[in-house]
Amino acid sequence: MKKTKVAFFDFSCCEGCQLQVANMGEALLDVLDLIEVVNFREVMSERSDDYDVAVVEGSITSPHGVERIKKIRSIAKVLIAYGSCATIGGVNGMKNNFELEDIRKYVYQDSAHHFHTIPTRAVHQVVPVDYFVHGCPVYIPEFVKVLKSALSGLPYRVPDDAVCTECKLNENVCMYEKGITCLGPITRAGCNSWCVNNGNICYGCRGMVTNPAQKGQKDILDRYQIPMEWIENKMNMYNKARENDLAEEKKNNEQKC
Amino acid sequence: MDKYVVLKKSDFNGFIKSLSKTQKVMAPVAKGNNNYAFEEVSSGEEISISHIPTILPPKKYFMPQRETILAFSKKEHEWKPILEKEPLVVFGIHTCDLEGIQLLNKVFTTPPQDTNYINRMNDITTIGLECNDYCDEYASCCVMNNHLPNSGYDLFFTELSNDFMVHILTEKGEKITGGTPLFSEAQSAHHKALEQLRSKKKELFKDEVVVQNNELKELFARTVHSAVWEDIQNRCVACGNCTNVCPTCYCFDIKDDINLDLNTGVRIRSWDSCQNETFAKVAGGENFREERGSRQRHRYMRKFNYSIGKFNKYFCTGCGRCSRTCMAKINLKETINSLAGEKK
Repeated sequence: MKKTKVAFFDFSCCEGCQLQVANMGEALLDVLDLIEVVNFREVMSERSDDYDVAVVEGSITSPHGVERIKKIRSIAKVLIAYGSCATIGGVNGMKNNFELEDIRKYVYQDSAHHFHTIPTRAVHQVVPVDYFVHGCPVYIPEFVKVLKSALSGLPYRVPDDAVCTECKLNENVCMYEKGITCLGPITRAGCNSWCVNNGNICYGCRGMVTNPAQKGQKDILDRYQIPMEWIENKMNMYNKARENDLAEEKKNNEQKC
Repeated sequence: MDKYVVLKKSDFNGFIKSLSKTQKVMAPVAKGNNNYAFEEVSSGEEISISHIPTILPPKKYFMPQRETILAFSKKEHEWKPILEKEPLVVFGIHTCDLEGIQLLNKVFTTPPQDTNYINRMNDITTIGLECNDYCDEYASCCVMNNHLPNSGYDLFFTELSNDFMVHILTEKGEKITGGTPLFSEAQSAHHKALEQLRSKKKELFKDEVVVQNNELKELFARTVHSAVWEDIQNRCVACGNCTNVCPTCYCFDIKDDINLDLNTGVRIRSWDSCQNETFAKVAGGENFREERGSRQRHRYMRKFNYSIGKFNKYFCTGCGRCSRTCMAKINLKETINSLAGEKK
């Protein structure tokens, strides 16, 4: 069987999600039986512009990034957005809290004029995306599932219920019972409540469920006496670029009307 | 078989220790914040004799959260069924959960029978444990008639002042008590103490809602369009906690997981929930229960209305888990009382 050529690319990110692949251990050997990696900056020096599947980590934060991702999209038959930065904007989205000019000067100081910058966008906010692997970092069992789906030409459905569903099945004591705020109730499942299983809270790195119950969630915060700002700040950490989706949705709805 | 024996409390630790050497023993252990979970134990000291219902019911041993049921090979067009089971003793099951297990047994032994479930069921020894006190404000075991033992166990333990009084109901149970010299025959003083405890319970355990057990079906049948469901619609966040912790919810999803050779793979069954956004979503994007309120109503109807038609049983055991775990504090007893408070 001819191996599928896979290329890994990174935009604005820490490349930690790609490191997850390098850290897969024995399962990586099975993956490599199936694919030929032609681009992967973290683990090899070779480069190629001939690939079938592009695995893209990072968010798009510069005009140069826009051009680069468009070129990748034009070559790749399948594009996988990989990791929170790519799928929802991730921590880079925090940039959108500031005036663009201010934040550019703050980061690049005297050299700011060399760096053209745009508000942070997730990959699908620039080019069409075929598969999403959410998470910061990605949950490797889910990545493997997505990879298998992509190679079989099947869709992968990202779970659209809350992290609580998986957390409960893992029989964790609810963070709210411990008096700790957790974003599980509004965050998409699919990570097998990885963080909570290990004693941490859910930070919302997989993005929000599509239909969060706003009124109900607000009641819950009131009940546990959690100020709305806490949740907003926590959500801000990964989900700021969601505003781009909401703006796009609003625009589409207006056009329909 | 109807026989009572006693085990000295001081011998309990040794009993669990020796039992755990012959088979796996699962029992409630403390997880902090007044939460408990059934886990494997190897001594009596690890067990919380006094506990409120565990996060997940012992259902998880009969119907695991995730279960491989089939292995297949695409190219060869071959498949073989897989049965994951091992002999288990589950100790410390409260009467509410014993009822939950009996209801699930009914579901899975009614045709079309579930072979995997039945095989596991036959391999599990159940040891009940009496609630001497009322657990908390969420329980409604009394109105559901599950606060006293109603069968469904191999052995049943009741804590008395110095001993455990043990009711032997099955041969499986007798094998355990007969396999060790720790158990002795119950004396009349023990029987008297048990009788006293049970009559004290009649004072402690009172019907928790304003309607009687036999009125519940009619109540839910006539309140399908109640405003109570609208209120719940505004409160529920569809986290699925209520169904995941329920001892009688048995909905599941089945997915195929192909191996990296893209040829062989396994079929996995996992718990599903009618509260999840996608549960009633079908091809084309239509969602038959888009509203969270209608999903909650469905859950209640499955417990108090539809189950009567299908199994002639309420599928609520009164364990109180759904109310205890609900982030939005949707409370089963309050829902019943609100529905009952509406004009007929």
